[in-house]
Amino acid sequence: MKIVKCRDVTKQYGKVKALDGINLSMDENKITGVIGRNGAGKTTFMKLLAGMLKETSGRVDVFSQRPFNNLTVSVNTIYIDDQMNFPPTLTLVELLEEGRRFYPNWNHDLALGLFEHFGFRKKDLHKNLSKGKESAFNMIVGIASRCALTIFDEPTTGMDAVVRKDFYRALLKDYIEYPRTILMSTHYMDDMEELFEDVLLIDQGKVKLHIGMDDLRGYAVGLSGKKDDMLPWLEGRNVLYQKETGFDDVYAVVVNDDQQNDWNRMGNIKRSAVRPSDVCVYLTNDKGGELEHVFRSGKNE
Amino acid sequence: MILDTEGLKPIYLQIAEWIEEEILHGNLDVDDKVYSQYKLADMYTINPATAAKGLKMLADEGILYDRRGLGKFVASDAKTIILEKRKDESIDQLMESLVKQAVWLGMSEEELLQRVKKVWRERTNENR
Repeated sequence: MKIVKCRDVTKQYGKVKALDGINLSMDENKITGVIGRNGAGKTTFMKLLAGMLKETSGRVDVFSQRPFNNLTVSVNTIYIDDQMNFPPTLTLVELLEEGRRFYPNWNHDLALGLFEHFGFRKKDLHKNLSKGKESAFNMIVGIASRCALTIFDEPTTGMDAVVRKDFYRALLKDYIEYPRTILMSTHYMDDMEELFEDVLLIDQGKVKLHIGMDDLRGYAVGLSGKKDDMLPWLEGRNVLYQKETGFDDVYAVVVNDDQQNDWNRMGNIKRSAVRPSDVCVYLTNDKGGELEHVFRSGKNE
Repeated sequence: MILDTEGLKPIYLQIAEWIEEEILHGNLDVDDKVYSQYKLADMYTINPATAAKGLKMLADEGILYDRRGLGKFVASDAKTIILEKRKDESIDQLMESLVKQAVWLGMSEEELLQRVKKVWRERTNENR
């Protein structure tokens, strides 16, 4: 079943188009990584799905309904980010109690178990938590709610490496026990890629890629060798990135277009893997957007 | 097993190869039930769909068989299939790069064969 459908979706803030013609659909019960540069439109996209914003044009469907101002979507969706507002007078445990009252699938044992595991005190107030602790608490709410559509927007802000790892494991374990659709935006893709089934790469308000994680892993290949060997070979290929790495050495990242026979005839060109996170960076780099240009021209626009 | 997340080899293939090794080493016998996709996902902290892909590949190759509702089990000729497959894949692949390298170094066919034979003799004596 398609749980999310977007048709020609646009979201405009004043004159700025945050989303520009999004067309996609998402299968039920998958974990999808939402990847993109800062300001690419990830948050706007996910807030549209959660019904927190209204599309300017086009149509968003979640559970076959328009999410904005919709109770069904609201009760079956949770959106977790680092700006969550909880009632300031309630203690952390009271907040969990409220979660139990509102979300029909709420797993209270899990909530309390994680609460204790991460060392929270019952009477603490949300506003007094450190950045990392706040993220950890929000994450507990996100997992325990067991919403059919669970959205995490940069959930690991401020978490240390140990807590991040625990968070991934907790999420995966509970997902295995209780599958649901999970969207997660992150800048720590290397950390999380094994968790994702699909990846949605957003760039300048548009969908750049929406593919399976395995396909992304094989999407591009790194090649390195002498210029004389490399340059003729790169001719006519989809080169995502190219860099001189010595006097006459070149490193290039090319789209892996299944010409397996060709790989064998490459002579002295070495192949290497390109990490999915790097593929995403290469795919979303503006032309001429390398940092070096700033220093070369000597001016900062 | 530690998953290699940096290399070219997809995770589902690594999972499949690990199960193959369990079969070759006898940790999984004919008609034994193999770990479910969920168990594998939990063990290696990977998406269950990735684990399922590895299991499906082994089933497609006849190394595992399905019992509806019960899971996947080791087929009776699993070992033979795995060994044949490894000969095709790893030996042929290694040979490919070996010959490539030898040609690049200007080695003759005769010299390469001599060297292979020498290593073969040393290794097989060692094991006795």
